Amino acid sequence: MSSYNMVKQEFIKKWITTLHILDCSVEHPLNVTERKNAIKLSSDIAMAAARSSSTVWSRALISRSGNKTANKPMARRVLKKARNRMKNRCLTLRRNGNFTAKSGVRRRTELLKRLVPGGELIENKDYLIRETLDYIVYLRAQVDVMRTVAAVDSVTGNLTNDNN
Amino acid sequence: MLEGLVSQESLSLNSMDMSVLERLKWVQQQQQQLQQVVSQSSNNSPELLHQILQFHGSNNDELLQGSFSQFQMIGSGFGPNYNMGYGPQHEAMDGCISRTSSCQMEPVDTMEVLLKNGTKEDRPISLKNKRKQEVKTREEENTEKKIKVEADTESSMKGKSNMRNREASSETSKETLKGVSEIPKLDYIHVRARRGQATDRHSLAERARREKISKKMKYLQDIVPGCNKVTGKAGMLDEIINYVQCLQRQVEFLSMKLAVLNPDLELAVEDVSVKQAYFTNVVGSSKHSIMVDVPLFPLDHQGSLDLSAINPNQTTSIEAPSASWESQSQSLYNTSSLGFQY
Repeated sequence: MSSYNMVKQEFIKKWITTLHILDCSVEHPLNVTERKNAIKLSSDIAMAAARSSSTVWSRALISRSGNKTANKPMARRVLKKARNRMKNRCLTLRRNGNFTAKSGVRRRTELLKRLVPGGELIENKDYLIRETLDYIVYLRAQVDVMRTVAAVDSVTGNLTNDNN
Repeated sequence: MLEGLVSQESLSLNSMDMSVLERLKWVQQQQQQLQQVVSQSSNNSPELLHQILQFHGSNNDELLQGSFSQFQMIGSGFGPNYNMGYGPQHEAMDGCISRTSSCQMEPVDTMEVLLKNGTKEDRPISLKNKRKQEVKTREEENTEKKIKVEADTESSMKGKSNMRNREASSETSKETLKGVSEIPKLDYIHVRARRGQATDRHSLAERARREKISKKMKYLQDIVPGCNKVTGKAGMLDEIINYVQCLQRQVEFLSMKLAVLNPDLELAVEDVSVKQAYFTNVVGSSKHSIMVDVPLFPLDHQGSLDLSAINPNQTTSIEAPSASWESQSQSLYNTSSLGFQY
């Protein structure tokens, strides 16, 4: 399990740096929704950066996050690879039409492609499943780390409240 | 005619099986050695990890292992036909061995090929040459067991000849494992046709493709919980989709929770060191996932705690099981002690 722990360590390191960068570039005060979006964005970027861009989903996630935020320099700072290429491919695919699939496996494959970032770009079903599994591992790491940090936060929140 | 076909292919299967086992042994060696290396070089681990991850970036089969220990290891030269069953997955590998098919496959997965180290493996391998001896004896035991399992599953004639050949050549092949630097590529993997199945090229290719996908499905069962009961591609895809959606929803929810708890976007980084000390002390003295009863612990700023008593109360809802909780907090502690620049 030590390699999974390393995944989580990588993730949390990148997450903290990304969050800090984001924090410096946005004005306070933010409301809850904005904070949540910032946290989610930074954690997504951190997760994809921890995967070091050798997978389709990580690159697609970076480019997607770069589109969402006005803060493209930040995304570029964290990961500087093939981002625009991925973005253009995503755009052309979206324009090509809707996904209608009849049979069960095909329909579910389309659905999975929509869930996994960058999944629409993958034609080979075999490769799609491989990407999905990789994505699941990192998603799981993200969830675990966030859960721990949230729990820790709640404890210290209680502590500081009591001390005050 | 069928018997002739079987016997001829069984001979080639013998050679394939031997080298598959050798490949397994070699991979197990790499795995264990790499684990040792990684655990020892904890200071250099981020870089090493990145490099190793880049080596193996395109092949994500390793991640499918439940223990996640192999995902650093195996190079993309091993291709999609390469599914390692270590430990509890030996039967999966046995099934793979008896059904392995080939046509001209691009990422070549034979056996002598895989015995020799890829150029990508050079760096971790050079670190481990010393340790191969002790590791080999362990693998010999593993492979002995596997040999016996396979003898049961395959036909008796073929099984016995396999065993004899394997044991004979496993000795010699171990010597070839040391210090090789190239992957010579072989284009053909010989197939054993099962009774009643067509052996022409297209159906072989089709069968190979189908088997690849079914192997992936097996690894999915390891990663996605609750996949065992479902069979068939549609059901497994359902489970995967469900799981991915579930995880994504959890990320949303947790980020909202963190946003609520942190009025500024700091993630309480300065307090992180405090919390780590807190949790290592806590972890050391308790077994269950606890939320400590808050008023008992005066927490000074350096992070040293006065733990007079710990009540295993659960004041917040933490669903994580205790083992993962401790490992997570340990990982947080290790991470914070590495020191961030911010």
